[in-house]
Amino acid sequence: MNFLANQVDLSNAVDAPAIWTTLEALPQLPNRLVEWVGFQMNAPAWLATLLGMLVSAAVVVGVFLTCFALVSLVERKTLARIQNRYGPNRVGPWGLFQPVADGIKMLTKEDIVPDKAEKLLHLIAPIMIVIPAVLALGVLPYGKEWVPVNLELGLLFFFAVGAMTELSVFIAGWASGSKFPMLGSLRAISQMVSYELPLLISAIGVIMMTGSMSLPSIVEHQSQYNFGFISNWNIFTPWGLVGGIVFFIACIAEANRCPFDLPEGESEIVAGHMTEYSGFKYALFFMGEYLGLFAISGLFITLFLGGWSAPFAGLEFVPSWLWFFGKLVCVIMTMLWIRGTWMRVRMDQLMRFCWLFLIPLSLLTIPAAGIWRFCGDGFLAGLLGWGVTIPFLIIPYIIITVILNRRLAPATRQYHFAE
Amino acid sequence: MIALFILIPLIVLAALGAIWKARPVHAALLLALSLSLVAVLYLLLGADFLGLIQFSVYVGAVAVLIVFSLLITRPSDETKEIARRPQSILAGLICAVPVLAVLVYSVSYSIGSDEVSESSPSQFELAELGKSLFTTYAPAVMAVAVMLTAVMIGAALFARDFNQRES
Amino acid sequence: MESSANTENATASKPPAEQKWILPGWGLYQGLVVTAKNFIQSYYKKDRLTTVQYPEERAPISPNFRNFPFLVHDGDDADAGLRCTACSICEKSCPPQCIYIVLDRDENGKSKKRPKVFEIDLSVCMNCGICAEVCPFDSIYMDNEFELSKDDRFGDMLYGLDRLVKSTDYHAKIRPEQAAAVAASRKAAAEKKEAAAKAKAERLKKKAEEAKLKKEQEEKGGDAQDDADGTPTPPSEKGDTK
Repeated sequence: MNFLANQVDLSNAVDAPAIWTTLEALPQLPNRLVEWVGFQMNAPAWLATLLGMLVSAAVVVGVFLTCFALVSLVERKTLARIQNRYGPNRVGPWGLFQPVADGIKMLTKEDIVPDKAEKLLHLIAPIMIVIPAVLALGVLPYGKEWVPVNLELGLLFFFAVGAMTELSVFIAGWASGSKFPMLGSLRAISQMVSYELPLLISAIGVIMMTGSMSLPSIVEHQSQYNFGFISNWNIFTPWGLVGGIVFFIACIAEANRCPFDLPEGESEIVAGHMTEYSGFKYALFFMGEYLGLFAISGLFITLFLGGWSAPFAGLEFVPSWLWFFGKLVCVIMTMLWIRGTWMRVRMDQLMRFCWLFLIPLSLLTIPAAGIWRFCGDGFLAGLLGWGVTIPFLIIPYIIITVILNRRLAPATRQYHFAE
Repeated sequence: MIALFILIPLIVLAALGAIWKARPVHAALLLALSLSLVAVLYLLLGADFLGLIQFSVYVGAVAVLIVFSLLITRPSDETKEIARRPQSILAGLICAVPVLAVLVYSVSYSIGSDEVSESSPSQFELAELGKSLFTTYAPAVMAVAVMLTAVMIGAALFARDFNQRES
Repeated sequence: MESSANTENATASKPPAEQKWILPGWGLYQGLVVTAKNFIQSYYKKDRLTTVQYPEERAPISPNFRNFPFLVHDGDDADAGLRCTACSICEKSCPPQCIYIVLDRDENGKSKKRPKVFEIDLSVCMNCGICAEVCPFDSIYMDNEFELSKDDRFGDMLYGLDRLVKSTDYHAKIRPEQAAAVAASRKAAAEKKEAAAKAKAERLKKKAEEAKLKKEQEEKGGDAQDDADGTPTPPSEKGDTK
């Protein structure tokens, strides 16, 4: 471990126990190993760099594929517990090997391509679903030292590759040459295009406050502490609270999760754009969906929940990436909780909610963030900021929810044959 | 440099395919491919911001919208007839010729001068870009904003009309 | 408006509940609380997790549960104690005709009052229980075994005597009340039969004595009067408690 300790900057954690510093450096271990081996073998610089890149990519992919396997199990178990069932508990202890069994099942299934499908596009679509999710995972800062790719325009990159998902969903739906995939992909695209707006707009406030699109610097900005102990997370500001909630809702919609899972509503259109896929291609869709979920939850954490920073001063000795993954678990469990509770919305409700509620609210966060910025730092300035921005946000919120909603909402549906 | 020589023929091929492909959806997808390759070109030239914006706007929004509108407006034989009429061709030319002229002018303008190589795009600052957009180029931004608003209102009106007719 | 007139009548009987307006979307938060309770309590409360893990755990089977029929034998020897007399009443009353009975005969062609073949095709049986209802000899009852999946749909589902015949103890185990009632009625019938036999024997004896007396008188002078008692023993009443 000597070479490891030498490589990692320990200035932040001088008095912390050795176990924590070692843990902090753990994600870099494969990289350091490769560097060390390269140094011993006198490898050329380009080879060392290439290997280093490959290894850091492999670490991210490995970690999140493990997360994918675990979450697919945890999701089923959580939903089961919510519905007073046990969930999968047959394969291995507590059903821990269920993902392995699922994987074997998926891999050994027959790969069916419909006659009317566009063969090439049908093949490309599942690959195109996974690529943007993995790319997006590459730019997130997971820890102080653990940033796979540190891009100056990381946030923009994230949204740019995220935009590819829509096209691949469309290709999947259209290339299947069948009705349900087409309907599902139309639903998915209209939903994703609509919810991308509140997602982007509520992120603008964060960019304004940080003055940078680099995700590590956004986290750096949030990892300071106010009054000595409360962390400077964006969710603890009025604009950040509103923006964060809007962003979270838009996240759920972008990830096609309940209550916005219309694109693949099982009871309505079989499985949406994935209907005509089977075997490993279906598994790829599934994987892309979950990796996208991790990516977008990770972005939510990075932008609003302080990324890898600890919630209170004095807790920094815990490895930063543990904080990140702890927050990721919390966010995903919240999503599962919501999935287990709320019912799927209707298409018109979905669109109305986005365009008449989320987008106006997210637009409000931009001037609110501006006001907050000009109020400055410190206790009194903070009070002033809350005092000014809260009415600024609350009054339009009431106008939107109560007045506009009442005017624009359709009359309560009359069900002719119910009861 | 080698990447450029591979990319540019690919872009041109994809664009030509977008024009000649018989099925409109194929054409739209090839257009998206061509646009995303242009984004890659920008990235290779060091214009990160432009490349990412190109990708998110053109691939993420415009191509998707084209595809989407292709699907919900089923092209009938009548629209093909309209496309063959001389008036339509004339209207297309009126749109295309000025664009071509601007392109030719800007390219020929930049070929002669050394300005391009001097201002390396990697030096540029995001904040600088924002400032210039909202000071020097404010009128252009406003014009685009007004146009987009008009488009949105028009779309909303169309949708409204459609709904009323249905009920 | 015209369409709502219809529904107004329908909903008039049930006035809409008074809506509490605490927060927009209040019901959504209430739902979250409910599911959170379910989730957390499922780890320590038994009534939040009612699933029975079937192959390892089993829910108790109700005594009223019945499916395929079985035959009862008395005593330890299944062959000797078989109650069935191959009367074929069940065979005739079976709606899907899944019962097949061949009467056992000795070399003289005389009935042995027992089945040579008794087969029930469980893949045909519809578990109606009519055979058990009609049997006059307390012989056929409904079993409660349900794990009968087999590899061969023809041979394995055709149950012969070897698999059908089960002891009275088994009957008492799966359906104690019914078995007790049957046993009681059988015992009563047996006692009655015994008493009747005794009475008959006495009567016969008496008659024989009378005949003897008469004969003696006859011999003295007068013709004899013959009498033969051939009343069959009444079939035992079924003690079916259902």
